[in-house]
Amino acid sequence: MKKTLLIGLALFLFHGLKAQRYYTKTGIVTFHAGTTVEDIDGINKSTTSIFDVSTGEFDFALLVNGFEFRRALMQQHFNEDYLESDKYPKSTFKGKITNISSVNFSKDGTYPVQVKGTLTIHNISKEIEVPGTFIIKNGKVSGTSTFNVALADYNISIPSLVADKLSKTAKVVVNCDYSLLK
Amino acid sequence: MKKTLKKLMIGTLLVAFAAAGYGFYLFNKKPADVRVMSASYTLSADSLVNVYNQDEKAADKKFLNQVIEIKGTVSKVVLDSATKQATVMLSTNDPLSGVTCSFYDNEASQLKNIKSGAEISVKGVCTGKLMDVVLNKCSIQH
Repeated sequence: MKKTLLIGLALFLFHGLKAQRYYTKTGIVTFHAGTTVEDIDGINKSTTSIFDVSTGEFDFALLVNGFEFRRALMQQHFNEDYLESDKYPKSTFKGKITNISSVNFSKDGTYPVQVKGTLTIHNISKEIEVPGTFIIKNGKVSGTSTFNVALADYNISIPSLVADKLSKTAKVVVNCDYSLLK
Repeated sequence: MKKTLKKLMIGTLLVAFAAAGYGFYLFNKKPADVRVMSASYTLSADSLVNVYNQDEKAADKKFLNQVIEIKGTVSKVVLDSATKQATVMLSTNDPLSGVTCSFYDNEASQLKNIKSGAEISVKGVCTGKLMDVVLNKCSIQH
């Protein structure tokens, strides 16, 4: 009896150790919300992300104040008027890679994946499903995704004065180089 | 009478030009260069993370968007010229969180000779805390 318990425990521990997780604290997220009148974009180079190879669970978090802009006013309007980053300092994504089993993390290649979950921006949460790509090269794992976010979905209102400068949807590009969590 | 009107018109035009010029200047103004700004607070990576662990909201009130100088031990340097990534991680006595310092991409050359375990001082803007406290627009302080 004791022996079975021990074997069970060992198996459990073994399984626990086998659960591979990858993470990054230096993920890059850019967004483009400009029009032909004005180019508006921001970059955040300290996005935290973690995913579990066996379950496909996938988390992202970034600090809204961490976006950098080319113009001072752009940054001010982004933080104070549109995203209200003092009130809502973080944006997150929490979800799953639905076809994680199709990615062979030990074989070089480009693997398309589907990501489904809850995106929270400006304190508003929405279910989204977006495509992404894992690239495995010489044992290095990187992930990218490009998708559109409708500003109105997240209660980001655009004053009519700048309506011709700011796009109603922002194109978001995610670029992460992952390391194995030891 | 006519002269006064003319003066008034010229005056108005001048003001309008000045306003337009100022507007253009504001529009094109680059974000402040943190490298030439002086730090509002100087503290160790340990104490910064400690303050955040105790009360994140209060810490944000104090440090968010402020230029701060942090002293700590390097645990990792991430350099990638393709993505313009130049980041230094500082370890703290909290094993779960440290300080992530994202550098100006043209400061990357300063990081080439920095190895894990080195003691450095970094100046940057505090943007809040995820797992780590994150500093942006960093540069090495000597």
